[in-house]
Amino acid sequence: MVLPALLLELSVPALSVSARLVTAWAVFQGLLLEALPFLLLGVSIAALARWLAPGGRWLQRLPRHPLLGPLTGAALGFALPACECGNVPVARRLLAGGAPLGTALGFLFAAPVLNPIVLASTWAAFPNQPWLLAARPLGALAVALVLASLLRLLPEAELLVPEVLAERRLSQPLSAVGLLERRSGLVGLPAAPAGLAAPAPAAPGAAVSARPPLAEVLEHGGREFLDLAALLVLGCAIAALVQTLLPRSWLLAVGGAPTLSILSLMALAVVVSVCSSVDAFLALGFAAQVTPGALLAFLVLGPVVDLKLVGLFGVLLRPRAIALTVAGASLAVLLIGQWVNLLRL
Amino acid sequence: MEIGLRTLGLALWGAVLLQSSLAGRLDLLLRADFHPLVWGSGVLLLGLALLDLGLTLSGRRARSGRPVAGERRRQLVWLLAAAAAVAVLALPPNPSFANLAANRPSEQLEEPELSFVLPPAERSLTDWVRLLRSQPDPALHDGDPVRISGFVLPQPGDRPQLARLLVRCCLADATPVGLAVRWPPGRQPRADQWLELQGVMGVERHADQLRNVVIPRRITPIRRPARPLEP
Repeated sequence: MVLPALLLELSVPALSVSARLVTAWAVFQGLLLEALPFLLLGVSIAALARWLAPGGRWLQRLPRHPLLGPLTGAALGFALPACECGNVPVARRLLAGGAPLGTALGFLFAAPVLNPIVLASTWAAFPNQPWLLAARPLGALAVALVLASLLRLLPEAELLVPEVLAERRLSQPLSAVGLLERRSGLVGLPAAPAGLAAPAPAAPGAAVSARPPLAEVLEHGGREFLDLAALLVLGCAIAALVQTLLPRSWLLAVGGAPTLSILSLMALAVVVSVCSSVDAFLALGFAAQVTPGALLAFLVLGPVVDLKLVGLFGVLLRPRAIALTVAGASLAVLLIGQWVNLLRL
Repeated sequence: MEIGLRTLGLALWGAVLLQSSLAGRLDLLLRADFHPLVWGSGVLLLGLALLDLGLTLSGRRARSGRPVAGERRRQLVWLLAAAAAVAVLALPPNPSFANLAANRPSEQLEEPELSFVLPPAERSLTDWVRLLRSQPDPALHDGDPVRISGFVLPQPGDRPQLARLLVRCCLADATPVGLAVRWPPGRQPRADQWLELQGVMGVERHADQLRNVVIPRRITPIRRPARPLEP
């Protein structure tokens, strides 16, 4: 049944490659123009936090407990309601400011769902499916806990990009930094972190409490925005090309099969790359054609992993950590989807 | 060098957002709810670029020395992104709606709302699709007057439909809704062509089932509307 439909799809020849590229260009612009304001919002929140709480002491007081940490990070989503694009710069500020790893990762992975805007849009899209209103945040929380636990297995030097790591070291007490990891002080180079980390005059461990000049905050925020915008351009270009060239019905063709439907909707979430604040409305369009587990998989995986986002993760995580994130999130979402299908089919 | 590039980059992205708003591009790309967010961000970015320039010119910021290797790479990335911004400014979007729709399954619309108190001739294409989905007995609407506009969407194994794209967020999530049309004999509408149809709603048998079909009495080619996407 599926094969003839796919062959029929292939036989619709009317559209030339150039027409598809023109359409991909429009989709690219749509994705980019929708995401840039959220990116700016996230960078602004991060810059404001840097200006208001320059030493980041409150960040270091956040819980370090393996369970409480990610839960606290996830709860921060209610205070900082941004979609996944805006969350990256805020998570970066948390990590660079010395927040416990689990808390920052919990925020990065769960806050795109656990925030009032996303929960309200899920409610608006699926008012007659109360199970989904509970399952989506719970699923996001479970995935965040899994990912935070998984990524904590890596040493920080293998998890975070050097620029974030260097800035993070400046906010941590010397006792928390291994001798060989120190880039200043008794061992290592004078503190001059390159890249995103703005040069900070203090030695590691020293209390940095003076509010930075506005010019410095502006400089740092501007650099961060441009770095992330460049990655966003790349992610949007890939997402636009893939979704223009790959018929969406291929991904939805196996809608009724329990496992395949979950896998296909996970692939769709990764490809479509829409903002978490509106993805519930998109899901509404095909909710009737897929299994409940697949629907939940779409709503839980998209805010954590998509083509647009993987590029942005590059300012935080090393490639190995990104690969681990993608694999861990996919496996966790697949299992959650299977479990939901067992309960509801 | 970096300071100049940073100011230029912020200004360029601000210009992209603002120009997209002023030139009406957003109507083709994004749902209207997001438009204020886009132009507001454009204004903010241009303001930041001006502030950045002012701080540099006033000498309140130390000039950087020769860029190290990492900084050169960053500047190259910024230049590439700036090139993308210039391309967005220079090349407006002109998507094929039929192309987009061909890749996507039809939208499953929600239950009808108050707009269905409208007389039949004032219902939009989307209103009609909603109504037909909620009241699946085709005979109920047989003979009702129809006046709708949309683009021609080819259907594999069927006559082309007249369709519209619904958007929740941006063009990336656009999904089509369409109505079957009994085109006059010998008339094969071109994919993507925008048409206004006036006629009546009829009933026909298709794939062993009865369905409603628009029987046009008058077909008028129209330009793509300024706001072609429906919420």
